[in-house]
Amino acid sequence: MPVRTPHFPDLLFDSAARLRRWEAALMGLLAAQGYRELHPSLVLRESLPEGALRFFDGDDLVALRWDFTVALAGLLARGFAAPPDRVAYAGAVFRRPVQPWEAVERFEVGCERIQPEGERSDEADVELACLLMAIPGALGLKNAILHLGHAALVRRPLEAEGLSGGLADGVVAALSRRAPHRVREVLKGHPAASRLAAHAEALLSELDGPGTLDALGASPYAHLLEGEREHMDRALKALLPILPANLELRVDLADVAGLGFYTGPTLRLWAPGAQQELAAGGRYDRLFPDLGRPWQAAGFCVRLSRLLDLAETRPDLFEPLP
Amino acid sequence: MTASTLLIAFPKGRLGDELVPKLAGTPLALDAQALKSRVLRIPTATPGVAALLLKGADLPRYVAAGVASLGIVGSDTLDEMDMDLLELADLGFGACRLSLCAQEGVTLDSLRAKPHLRLATKFPRATEAWLTREGLTAELVPLSSSAELAPLLGLADAIVDLVQTGGTLRAHGLVETAVLGHSSARLVAARGAYLSEPGRLRPLADQLTALLRREA
Repeated sequence: MPVRTPHFPDLLFDSAARLRRWEAALMGLLAAQGYRELHPSLVLRESLPEGALRFFDGDDLVALRWDFTVALAGLLARGFAAPPDRVAYAGAVFRRPVQPWEAVERFEVGCERIQPEGERSDEADVELACLLMAIPGALGLKNAILHLGHAALVRRPLEAEGLSGGLADGVVAALSRRAPHRVREVLKGHPAASRLAAHAEALLSELDGPGTLDALGASPYAHLLEGEREHMDRALKALLPILPANLELRVDLADVAGLGFYTGPTLRLWAPGAQQELAAGGRYDRLFPDLGRPWQAAGFCVRLSRLLDLAETRPDLFEPLP
Repeated sequence: MTASTLLIAFPKGRLGDELVPKLAGTPLALDAQALKSRVLRIPTATPGVAALLLKGADLPRYVAAGVASLGIVGSDTLDEMDMDLLELADLGFGACRLSLCAQEGVTLDSLRAKPHLRLATKFPRATEAWLTREGLTAELVPLSSSAELAPLLGLADAIVDLVQTGGTLRAHGLVETAVLGHSSARLVAARGAYLSEPGRLRPLADQLTALLRREA
């Protein structure tokens, strides 16, 4: 009797056609904005992480591509003296899932905006947000929500208080759970406990439109975060007038997902009622310097596998096909 | 019940026994007739909101997968399972200690001195964390219920278990030798449902918190 392994789902006719159509639509959208495709090898040989699908190629331990950003960064750092400023990618990544119901093979389309270090990044961040705002329309999603966050809103107060290691991880985990009481539990007895707990309350107080930024005023670190607040305010002023009718823009001050990677603004795309974000990205300025290249970068990834699942389980969220 | 019915996962057992009376007479009271039956999906007094009755260890999975939008579960269970969900409030009730318990006369120092310490527990993760903090090693004997019997029958030297009043411990001649942590009921939410539809879930979450914190 044939067994359909849930972690390696096969795509049958409609899903396979939808995947091809979506990939073409999104890559077309990116190409129209000057993003050129790079296709890093499916097999990677360097810095293989735990969650990767690893195997031996002769005596060499190798892994299937687990992340496009990492694969592209290696390719660009090795092969380019100066980076192409806009790159796009499409294909599959393979990694062991955190949640048991997630697939190992995941289809993604994404893009990266790369600049020399020191250049102003505001325009690049807004450019990426504008692109992400066009994604729901290209996919036929009836409605979507774009969450705008900023990694520094959590990282800078932690650094200012000298918190690192397990204690900092505990605070980030508590914020990820949106549990200010856990922040107090984690920091019990620490001299910065009351300040960071008040900051957590401020970050978690709202999940709404532009007015959410005002919540930062209640934080003990409001002064420290003035630059980030102004950056987010400028981004909102640029994005709100061009917001498509089917898209809602929300500020999520407590977005800590990928905090070890992201260094600046973060973006997450949701559909109402979807259980997982459908696209995510942000600024990650430490990636290329860590590889010896003085470049800064931001990008996002559209998680097509999640969208395919959503189209199966919630077809009502999508426009009917012509 | 319709497809758009909001589901709240309520725990069976000790926490559920405290929870159900707290909601009696409120807009989120569970239907008394359905509660008497063997049905596990129970309407509430609010149309469009229903409760699922689940074992504590299963409950976080239902919420993390988005089947139930909200849930109430002990923080001890959350810490053991580490599922990807939101923990919106400490509801205060169901408070208990996670304790190391042994037969009367056995001290923490005598347990420390054992060359091969065996601890029976339903909470291996919390126990391992405590052992690491204390610089101890032990063989963990995983159990899912009636841990109190383990030291009496020689299955383990001591147990790590939840203690609320201490009545069960006393009935078995056991005493607490160390407190590893504290637990209480927490309101949890499905990450996706809460972040993508806060306007739908937040009022219900606020209502539940207000109702359940009244007498906590």
